[in-house]
Amino acid sequence: MTVMRDTVVKSLAKITVQGDENGLIPEYEVLVNLLPVKLLNTFSERIMAAAPPEMKAKVEEGLVRAAYECGYHTGCGIITSDIFNDVVLPMVTEGEKDILRGAYAAFTAWGWAKSGIVQLKEGEKMIIRAYDYYEADSGGEGLRGFMLRGLSQAFFDLAYAEPYPDGMDTYVCHQTKGIEVGDPYGEFIVTKK
Amino acid sequence: MALKLDFTMDAETNRQYLNGHPVVMHSHHYLALITKMAGELGDIDGVGILCDVVEETMRAVFDDYIQKNGLTSAQDRCNVGREYFSVFGLGKMVITGDEHGGEVRLVRSHLDEGWVMKWGNSSGPVNHFTRGYVAAMFGAAFNKPLKSYTVTEASSIAAGDAEGKFIIKAS
Repeated sequence: MTVMRDTVVKSLAKITVQGDENGLIPEYEVLVNLLPVKLLNTFSERIMAAAPPEMKAKVEEGLVRAAYECGYHTGCGIITSDIFNDVVLPMVTEGEKDILRGAYAAFTAWGWAKSGIVQLKEGEKMIIRAYDYYEADSGGEGLRGFMLRGLSQAFFDLAYAEPYPDGMDTYVCHQTKGIEVGDPYGEFIVTKK
Repeated sequence: MALKLDFTMDAETNRQYLNGHPVVMHSHHYLALITKMAGELGDIDGVGILCDVVEETMRAVFDDYIQKNGLTSAQDRCNVGREYFSVFGLGKMVITGDEHGGEVRLVRSHLDEGWVMKWGNSSGPVNHFTRGYVAAMFGAAFNKPLKSYTVTEASSIAAGDAEGKFIIKAS
C-alpha cells in the first residue's frame, strides 16, 4: 500500500483550529495562526507594487522565504505529529516519497493548495501541479505562487536533505506555470540549489 | 457576547472559511518573517503597508459580522475584534477606552511570543500587525472611517516587557 491521497485528504480536512483560552494555537511545535486570505494576498500585492523595479526580486524572495521557513519548521512538526502518524504513516511503504505524497494531501486538505506530485526523482527533482491555490487570486501581474514555492522547497529539504534542522536551503523551487497568468494549473519544480 | 463561529469548507477546493471569509493557517515563523521584512523595507514604508493592509482587511471582517448580527453598542462591536483576535490565534487582549481613544493590553501575543521563540528579544516594539488590527477594531466599534485612529505600541512582549500595550488616539 502507498499513500491513498483521497483518504488522507478526507481525514485531515475534518480538522479545524481556533485559539485556546490564551488566544493561541500551539500545534505542530509552532504557534499556528488563522488569517483571512485577503489579508495575506493584499499584503503581498501591496508590497510588491510599492517596490521599485530593482527591489522587486528582493521582496519576492522575502515572501518565498517566509513561506519556506514556515514550511520547514511547521512541516517537521506536521510529519511527526500524532495526526500524521495516525492517518498517513500506516500507508507509508515507499519512505520519503510517501511522506511527500502525504504532505501534499495535507496541503490540499488544509486549503493551502489543491496540489500533488506529478514527477519525482528522489533527492534530485520534483514537479508539482496545483489546480487551486489562494495566491492565484491575488490579482497581481505575473507568477504569484510564493507560498507554494516556499512550501515545496521546505518539504523536499525535509525529505531529502540533511535531517532537521540541518538541511535548510539544499533545494530550490521555481514556479513555471500559474493559474494567475492563465495556465490551467500552477506548476512548481524543485531542484538542487 | 460570544462570537458566533461558522467554519465551512469548499468541497471542491478544500479552501476553508470562517463566517464566510476565506482563511488559511500559517505559523509564527510566517508572521514573524513578514513583519521583519516589512521593517527592513523602510524605503517603501513596509511597516505602513502592513498596518494599512491589516486595518483594511480586518475591518471588512468586523463590519460584516457587526452588520449580519445587528450589533449596535460600541462594547459589543469592539468585542467582535477582541474575540476574533483570540479565535485567529493572535493572542489575548484587554481593551479600555471610548471613541476618542484608549488602551489595549496584550496579555498574550502570537507575534511577540513567536518572535522571541524564533530570534529572542527584539530591540524594540515589532507588533505592527496588532497596531493595524487595533485601529480596525476601534474604527468598527465607533463606526469611524479607516485611518480614524493612530495606534502606537508603548510596551512590547517581544522586547521583554511582561505585556504589550497599545495607545489609541483619534486622528
